[in-house]
Order: sequence, then structure tokens, then C-alpha cells
Amino acid sequence: MKSGIAVFVVFFSMNTCVLFAQTTSNTTLNFNPKFGNADLQLNDAVYTTKINDSIWIDVFKCYVSNIALLQNGKVVWQKKNSFHLINIANQQSLQLMLQTPAALAFDAIQLNVGIDSTTNVAGAMGGDLDPTNGMYWTWQSGYINIKLEGRSNKCLTRNNAFTFHLGGYQFPYNALQKITIPIQQIKKINLVIDIQKFISSIDLTTQNQIMSPGKSAMFLSNQFSTIFSELKQ
Amino acid sequence: MKKVSIVFSLLIFVLTAFVSVSQLFVVPKGWPKQGYDFSRNPLSNEKIALGRALFYDPVLSKNNTISCASCHNPYNAFAHADHQLSHGIEDKIGKRNAPALVNLAWQKKFMWDGAINHLDMQSLFPITHPDEMGEQLDQVISKLKGATIYPKLFYKAYQDSVITGEHLLKAIAQFMLTLVSSNSKYDSVMRHQAVFSNQEKNGYQLFKKNCNSCHTEPLFTNHEFENNGLPINKILKDFGRMKVTGLVTDSLKFKVPTLRNIQYSSPYMHDGRFARLQDVLKHYTLSIQKSATLSQKLQQPIVLTSNERVDIIAFLLTLTDNSFISNPNFNYPKYNLYP
Ligand code: HEC
Ligand code: HEC
Repeated sequence: MKSGIAVFVVFFSMNTCVLFAQTTSNTTLNFNPKFGNADLQLNDAVYTTKINDSIWIDVFKCYVSNIALLQNGKVVWQKKNSFHLINIANQQSLQLMLQTPAALAFDAIQLNVGIDSTTNVAGAMGGDLDPTNGMYWTWQSGYINIKLEGRSNKCLTRNNAFTFHLGGYQFPYNALQKITIPIQQIKKINLVIDIQKFISSIDLTTQNQIMSPGKSAMFLSNQFSTIFSELKQ
Repeated sequence: MKKVSIVFSLLIFVLTAFVSVSQLFVVPKGWPKQGYDFSRNPLSNEKIALGRALFYDPVLSKNNTISCASCHNPYNAFAHADHQLSHGIEDKIGKRNAPALVNLAWQKKFMWDGAINHLDMQSLFPITHPDEMGEQLDQVISKLKGATIYPKLFYKAYQDSVITGEHLLKAIAQFMLTLVSSNSKYDSVMRHQAVFSNQEKNGYQLFKKNCNSCHTEPLFTNHEFENNGLPINKILKDFGRMKVTGLVTDSLKFKVPTLRNIQYSSPYMHDGRFARLQDVLKHYTLSIQKSATLSQKLQQPIVLTSNERVDIIAFLLTLTDNSFISNPNFNYPKYNLYP
């Protein structure tokens, strides 16, 4: 019994050592939402798609979770159970501090776009996961992984609006996307999220209202996962 | 001998202590473990009291007229009496019958079609549904911030007067988790503290033979989704579980409801189509509708004489728990809402 406690104490102190070792340095992670080369702005800014249509973006939010850093394909640092709501209307949400050990070498970042299924069924949570953030479906439980709303004259809808609320955690419509992005600038990670690339991959005339889990949400989530890249300095 | 019995009672004591999650929630003897994970939302008297105040407060609805209790009335085992379909804000009529709220800690999916995956998340549905309370969650929170009692009650519960969606939802869930009904005559009989009449005993045998496969003791539900042979209502066109899973094999399947306190939760079925238990028994014996998804358990017709149907109903009435219906801890919290 006594030795059990001793083992526990040793184990515990080892753990805290590791924790201390890990908090010695910080890596910043910036998200840069863009439309092509322009910084993305909401509401009034008008953008042109690759096929010369005018487009406005009114809402852009998405969840990023379980961030990890990789070296040669191996995880060298990770932040389990971390969930961040990126919301372009809240500039602070675009920057994260990763508490990494000093002089950590890595060549890629890995993250989930969206919320995993375990977290989806775990009940009410706070902070970025609080349902008041408007990223939770009320009529059928589940987080909305990605919200993109805007207007385009290609949409023959009320106010020419398009609305994408993408999510779903249940087989076969688990929309969570795991992505890996090669990184060169490791002091400060700068990621681009290029909305133009997403919009170009769909036909807004036929696809402009996706607000529940299913095949379309799977397809669009997959498209969305391709629009992350490292910012070219 | 004496020593043995002391050791034995100590053992029983330890065992029963083990069964209770806290004094605030006790798993009745012989029942399965609850499905709710209390470690993520540990019960406290203050949180339950907060949840209870919220449950009874129309502040959760857009025009401050409808509370959870408007549709889930304690005197009807927290179901909605006299309304086949729920009756919400501005007299809007919903698409389904409000179920009794009882023993929810054992349930893992909620609503007739299981659209809600966790008890914490349940309240979001009625608060935001245009035919129920018609409100927005952030709007509710700003109303609560401005109310006299809530910053105080939230502080008492969470040592934090900042009102968050998480705390709001978890507090309402806490109150609902305390709605445990385990003191019916049936329970007394199982504990050898009472006996069934001959009629009830016969009804119990018939129940075990014909109904228990879905309405499984002691919770009187197997927590599955089943098609029990109700013909579809042509106006409501409600296909149940299929809407959630997208699978045709789930067409016309609905949550198997508990039968505890069934005496008080009329009308019956997801659309409240039957007013009386006689009508329900007639359905099972005379009008099961065959379809591709009809439950395997109902492929063979249920044959019951009219006397046997009466006996089953006599048994169903032993599931009434008056200590639940009149539990002073469950009804309108005057002291909080009108301090
Ligand atoms: C307008 C009437 C109405 C109001 C108000 C209302 N409910 Fe309900 N409730 C219903 C109906 C109808 C259902 C079943 C809906 C369905 O299955 O689609 C239901 C289902 C539920 C369930 C699921 C029970 C089960 O066994 O699956 C719970 C729990 C619940 N309500 C709690 C609440 C809470 C908490 C509130 C207040 C925040 C509330 N309700 C407000 C009508 C209402
Ligand atoms: C195949 C599974 C199954 C069997 C067997 C079964 N039931 Fe049901 N029962 C259900 C389902 C599912 C519902 C809800 C159906 C709906 O609302 O669409 C239900 C609903 C009920 C209700 C209404 C409950 C409420 O709150 O509205 C009563 C009462 C009931 N059953 C009694 C019985 C009796 C008595 C028997 C035996 C004669 C029986 N059931 C056999 C599956 C079953």
C-alpha cells in the first residue's frame, strides 16, 4: 500500500516536471482568412470569384481542435482536447499560443477542422464550446464545425444568400477533417484559410443551403479541408 | 452468529453506499447503473435549485409566457395533459406529444426520434423552437443577467455570477436528473413490502409475456427505437427515427417510452392519438399495422380477451408513484421565483 503511494508520488512529480519543461517557450499560431490574395472582411467588402461573380461574406467561423506538431511525420508536440473557435468577427480568436518546449523542431502542423464525435456526445461545455457561440444545432444535437454565410447573385434565394452550416459526427456522415500542413517558418506559424478556393469548388446556383449533416455536408467539409496552407512570406 | 450479521449488515451498508452517486442521486436497488455521467456535472443542492427555478420560469420563452413546466407538468408526471400535440408560445401547436420526464438519468437519447444526444443539450431544443418557446439562447442569457434572482442563484450554484450557456444547461439537466420514480406499488411488490391483487398479478404475467420485451423492467423501456405498428398519420407524416439517421430501415420507429406513471401521462403515443389505456390495448390486440419495419417482437399477433386487457391495465396502474407526483422537491419553487 505504502509503496503504491510512493510510486504515485514519484509518478506525479515526474508529470509536473514534464509540464514545467513544456512551458518554457511559446509558438504563435496565426490564422489568416483570405479571399484569394485579399484579407477577408465581412459584410461590405465585395470579392470576385474565379468566374467573375460578385460575392460578399457575412459570417465565417470554424472549429479547430487537437493541434499537433510533427517532425518527419511523427508527433513531437500536441495539445489534446483543445478546441478553438476561429471567428473572423473576433480578431483575438485568430491567434493562438502553443506552449511548446524551447527549440522544438518540427516541419508540419496537424489539426482537426471540427469537433470529434466523443466531444459531440459529452453534454454541455463552456468556453469556445459553449452553445451560446451559435455553433451548435438545437433541433438535432451536434456541433456545427464550419459556418460560412454570404451573398452572391448566383444564388436565386432570398437576399441572394448562401448558408453553409457544416457538421455531423455520426457514421456515415462524420464530417470531421484531419489535415496536415507543411511548415517552414516555425517561430511563428502563419496559416492561410482561402475562402475563394472553397467557393470556386462549388456551384452556388445549385448548392447554396446546406444546414444539416449528410452527403453534401461531407463533400463540402472535404473541400473546406483543402483551403489551409502556410502563408507565403 | 451475531458477528456474522454485523459483518453482513456492514457489507450491505458499504454496497448501498457504493450504489449511490451522491446522496442527491441514488440508484434504486436492483436497477441498472444510470447512463448519465455525473463526473462531468456533479450534483449539488444549489445547482438543482437553480435548475428547478429555470424549469418553472417562463423567462426562458420569447414573450415570457411559456415555461418547461407548461408542457411538462409535475401533476402529469411531467407530461402535457389534455394536449395531443404540445401547445407552445402564442398557441402554436407542435408536431409531437410531450413525453413524461421520469428516470431520465438512465436514458441516452432523447425525444421520440432520439434527435438529442445528451440530457444537457435537451433544453436548447424547446428554448429555440419557434413553436415552443421561440427564444434565442444568448437572448435568454441576457434576460437572466438582468433578472433579480438569477445572478444570485448562479453565484450560489457556481461561485460565479457570470451566466453561461454551459451552466444554464447543466443546471436544468440537474433538476431533471433528480426526477426519479421508484416508489410505485410495483416497486413495493418487488421489494416484498406489498402484494399484487389477483387481477394485478394476472396482468403482470400477461405483461411479461407480451410487453416486457420492449417495455422492459424495471425502467419499463429497453431504450430502443421500435415500430409498434401504429398507422402513419397522413397529416403529420412523422417517420420518427428515420429523420435522424436517414436510414429507411428506421422508418416509423419511435423511442420506446417508459410506462411508469402511465396513469397520469395521457394522451398516449408520439402524437397523442390515444386518450385512454383501453385504446392502447385495443391497438396492440386488434390494429397492429404490418409494414417493412414492424418490430420482430410484434410479428405474432398479441391475443388477449377483454378481461385480460383489463388485467393488464390494472397492472399498469401499479406503476403509478404518488410519492413522485406529489414530491414537494419537484413542484413549483415558490421560494425562489417569488422570494
Ligand atoms: C411547447 C411545449 C414544450 C415546452 C415548452 C418544453 N417541452 Fe420538452 N418536450 C416537448 C415535446 C413535444 C417533446 C417531444 C418532442 C419530440 O420528440 O420531437 C419534449 C421532449 C422533452 C424531453 C425528452 C424526453 C424523452 O424522454 O425523450 C425532455 C428531457 C424535455 N422535453 C425537457 C424540456 C425542458 C427542460 C424544457 C424547458 C427548457 C422543455 N422540455 C420545454 C414539449 C415541450
Ligand atoms: C415492439 C416493441 C413494443 C411492444 C412489444 C410493446 N410496445 Fe408499447 N410502445 C412501443 C413503442 C415504440 C411506443 C411508442 C410508439 C409511438 O409513440 O409511436 C409504445 C407506446 C406505448 C404506450 C404509450 C406510452 C406513452 O407514454 O405515450 C403504452 C401505454 C404502451 N406502449 C403499452 C404497451 C403494452 C401494454 C404492451 C403489451 C401489450 C406493449 N406496449 C407492447 C413499443 C412496444
